[in-house]
Amino acid sequence: MQVEPATRSRIEGLIASERVVVFMKGVRGAPQCGFSATVCRILDGLLPEYATVNVLADPALRDGIKAFSSWPTIPQLYVNGEFVGGCDILQEMLADGSLFETLGLPKPEIAVPNITISDAAAQALRLLASRSAGPLHLSIDAQFQHGIYFGPSEPGVLSLTVSGIAVEIDPLSAARANGLTLDAEARAEGPAFKIDNPNAPKNAEVRQMSVTELAQRIAASERLGLFDVRTPDERAIAHIEGARLLDSNLVERLERLDKGALLVFHCHHGGRSQRAAEHFAALGFTNVWNVAGGIDAWSQEIDPNVPRY
Amino acid sequence: MALKILSSPPPEPEEIARDLAAAISKALPDASVDVQIGSPGHFELAVTSSAFAGLNRVKQQQTVYAAIAHLMAGDSAPVHAIDRMTIRTP
Repeated sequence: MQVEPATRSRIEGLIASERVVVFMKGVRGAPQCGFSATVCRILDGLLPEYATVNVLADPALRDGIKAFSSWPTIPQLYVNGEFVGGCDILQEMLADGSLFETLGLPKPEIAVPNITISDAAAQALRLLASRSAGPLHLSIDAQFQHGIYFGPSEPGVLSLTVSGIAVEIDPLSAARANGLTLDAEARAEGPAFKIDNPNAPKNAEVRQMSVTELAQRIAASERLGLFDVRTPDERAIAHIEGARLLDSNLVERLERLDKGALLVFHCHHGGRSQRAAEHFAALGFTNVWNVAGGIDAWSQEIDPNVPRY
Repeated sequence: MALKILSSPPPEPEEIARDLAAAISKALPDASVDVQIGSPGHFELAVTSSAFAGLNRVKQQQTVYAAIAHLMAGDSAPVHAIDRMTIRTP
């Protein structure tokens, strides 16, 4: 099978553009097929950054990459311009450990991590465990996004019991979990879990912007991206003029911006927007700001016409 | 329900299996090829050839896929997927 010369040179350009490139159905944040999703999940656990190419958006590329690689299925992983394989091969390489060398990563030391669960968290978890099946799963991806959920026991994981709670953690997450503390705060809508992980990089890159400074910068017509990370319902109640609602489409577009772009995030009080800002800082953005106090501070200090809620 | 009128009947699985074996033998003349028929459009291949010596598993499979690519190309390709590919060297 021959590849059109134009398509061939595009593919060659794409695989040379980044160290790790995945040709997949959908994009990293929104895969459109289970195999593509699995590949992203594996890579998310290993790499803070990699490129994806959505073949669904381009039929010429979809057929072209199959012929180019002599490989009939999508997704396809390229590392340093070399074809590595599809989903099955990636899973096997993860299991036998060869994937680390291929990606140029040190092999993680596999040891049961030392994890602390506070009394409040243990109490909340025991209640949840009584209504759920299976152990508590703890996952930590390469960007130190933490996940906890109850579910059936899985193969190839480390099992431990902390404060009477059965915990399962996959080897990659385990390598990032030593010294982690899980705490909980009782709230009306249910317990709010808080994870403190000393292995997470400190996000000094997220800076705090007061509403006064924000107002001055807007008044000076400074070119800044101001993003509202609240829900559309909250936005209907109150919004800051010029702020754009951050939906998943916009997130994808922002992630492709120059890493020096000035990004400012706000929410209701500054908590959710801090996490959004940390996400972008972790991706390497260097000019990331959180609006301290959020729209509530804006209503009180800058514009009383913006309703409080 | 719309009926699709086919100008020619779709090839029988046995015929596609013969095409697969012939395509692989053409690319790898010393190969012995075993084709198992699965669900419609799905096949399993076992190929033994000295050409695989010294290649990693991905390269071995790429060699076979390159030989049968014309049977897997396009929306109405006779071969939809190779469910299992077993590679051996003599």
